[in-house]
Amino acid sequence: MKDNLLWVEKYRPKKIADVLGNEEAKAAFVDWLKNKRRVKKAVLLHGPPGVGKTALVNAAANDFGFTLIEMNASDTRNEKAINKIAGPATSFVALDKFSTESKGNLLFMDEVDGIAGNEDRGGVSAILKIVDASQVPVIMAANNPDVEKLRPLKKVSALIRFQPVRIPLIIAMLRRICQKEHVEAEFEALERIAQNSRGDVRSAINDLQSLAETTRVLTLQDTMALSYRNRDISMDETLRTYFSAKSLLEASILLSRSSVDYDDLLLSVSDNLPRRYADVGELAEAFDLISQADVFRGRIGTENWHLLKYFYNYLAEAAAVSTETYKPFELISPPIRIITLFWTKGKRTTLEGICAKIGQRCHVSRATAKNDFVPFLKIALERQKSSPLASWFKLEPEEVEFLAKMNKF
Amino acid sequence: MAADEEALMWVEKYRPKTLDEIVDLRDIVQSLKAFMRNPKTMPHLLLAGIPGTGKTTVALCIARQLFGDNWRTFTLELNASDERGIDTVRERVKDFSRYSRAAFGNVPFALIILDESDQMTGPAQTALRRIMETSSRTSRFILICNQSGKIIEPIQSRCAIFRFSKLDRKAMIDHLCCLAGKEKVTLTPEAAERIVDYAEGDLRHAINALQTAAAYRQGFVDEKIVSQVIGEASPKQVQLMINKALNGDFVEARKMMYELMGAYGFSGSEIVRQMQRELFKLSYITPEEKAELANIIGEYDYRLTQGANTDIQLSALLAQFAKVGVSKGETS
Repeated sequence: MKDNLLWVEKYRPKKIADVLGNEEAKAAFVDWLKNKRRVKKAVLLHGPPGVGKTALVNAAANDFGFTLIEMNASDTRNEKAINKIAGPATSFVALDKFSTESKGNLLFMDEVDGIAGNEDRGGVSAILKIVDASQVPVIMAANNPDVEKLRPLKKVSALIRFQPVRIPLIIAMLRRICQKEHVEAEFEALERIAQNSRGDVRSAINDLQSLAETTRVLTLQDTMALSYRNRDISMDETLRTYFSAKSLLEASILLSRSSVDYDDLLLSVSDNLPRRYADVGELAEAFDLISQADVFRGRIGTENWHLLKYFYNYLAEAAAVSTETYKPFELISPPIRIITLFWTKGKRTTLEGICAKIGQRCHVSRATAKNDFVPFLKIALERQKSSPLASWFKLEPEEVEFLAKMNKF
Repeated sequence: MAADEEALMWVEKYRPKTLDEIVDLRDIVQSLKAFMRNPKTMPHLLLAGIPGTGKTTVALCIARQLFGDNWRTFTLELNASDERGIDTVRERVKDFSRYSRAAFGNVPFALIILDESDQMTGPAQTALRRIMETSSRTSRFILICNQSGKIIEPIQSRCAIFRFSKLDRKAMIDHLCCLAGKEKVTLTPEAAERIVDYAEGDLRHAINALQTAAAYRQGFVDEKIVSQVIGEASPKQVQLMINKALNGDFVEARKMMYELMGAYGFSGSEIVRQMQRELFKLSYITPEEKAELANIIGEYDYRLTQGANTDIQLSALLAQFAKVGVSKGETS
């Protein structure tokens, strides 16, 4: 099992059909590659990290037999460097055709939004020149297409948008990997890894591999480590700066700069809010704003990312309810929700099991069993553990014990 | 499962076995009996109404009436809120209609009872509609739901719809008294009234309360015992959580909320519904304050449906409660 390959490499899609999700983007890309190159010489693939932009380009090169010439963020991309690599790649098409079976070159520039002002001097205009002169397809990828300096590139490119990959697809893929790697995993564990990835396939596979390093049987409990690891320093720093913000503007600027995951941030802010606002009036006001932020998070779902600004706006307002009352405090971590779900899992599962048995007997759903039968059954068993009801419902002794002892809800 | 092993929960023991045994619901029973005379003409059925009014009972009676003692073989009981999505439903229906294809007597189909079908999402219902269509030669569906409005039009139009209204007080009291008689339980009239008040038209709830109360003092049930049972069976944690919040102790209240979600697996909307119910039982706040708090609950109930994180919405709701509670403490 432990070959030294990274699973993200090992399971990198070889064919376009293997690239997960984003069917529309895939179709648009193939269409561009086959037909639309006459219209727009370059294409800009944009979307969050780990959703398959690079994977698609690699797979397409494979499927159609192109040779891929790649430049990514790790290379410096000032004018000179770009011309040095890209120049020959885009002009000597014919020569390459002779020497190999390749249909030609494909120039791929990853993370073009990362071309910085100073170091990569002249980078954008060099790319523009290359696109103009190129006889081979030029493909670019970016996380954020709205960066000002990319505007000239967007004019000459076809734009294809990638979305976060849907969670069920990621779960299914993690499952396939587990089978191939002989890892046994609980559904809930994979579900949590997938959700934690927020549609980022690469990070999901990485998380799975790092968790599977230590165990072959992966349970929900094992995935608890994920949230710890993801809570890096920048989250704590972000929270500290956030809570101590002296104005709405300051909070807004901080949020626009921070790179922490917004869902984690929302949860952590909610956790820590009572430590920030001792006054219940202020706390209520701040929580109202957090709740509004969460409503926008719900409306964003997996596609309406343009609403993200409203989400951040509400979040920033919650930091600035009363700036003068700020006193430093110790942050709560890790997230209360995850800790509670973790510690209470045993109870929850036992109760679910009991409710399923009641449901079978009395033709009701588990939810109805819990609300309408459990309270009465508990009273009966509290008074008499040997009640014939226990055996009629086919309850195990532990389950009887559990019902008799549990807190009333 | 043995079919007719004596049931110990009274709700099962006294569940009518045939349509004739159902004393109320005369209109519904009459038209259903007409279908029974010539089962070939029976359409899909949609039974709608609040909990505890006899929908499941009617569905099971139909199954018995059609298939006699073998009804379990020819009936698939599913609960939409228990299944893991429409794919499971589809698989189970497919498997079932495959092996039960052999018709029974003059009944040319198998029966599929899908309870709480209004819990299914729109897309799931659309898929269900297709399942109903593709298996219509071999199966009939009885869909059960609380609100028929939540069932998509195309499904409604394929079903004969029966509405079950809330049982009236007198009918409920008659039921309880009759049942008490059979179990040799003395039930005082005041106790019966009290149970009916508590059950709010849900007969199942009323019978469960009666059975629990009857175990308290060897078959003697008066109002005091009923009050005690109701007190013990009502949601303690939610009461405590509301009290903590109204006392301004937000952190404790939130802890209890997480406990409810974590240990007991309650959903956000279940907690909100219980809060709504418990709020009106509180003795230490005025009707005006109750109204104010009810409005707040309403707002957050709505946000729950819009938002992404149940626990954040509930936390925010508890924070509002804390604010109202404390400001009230200051003025009085």
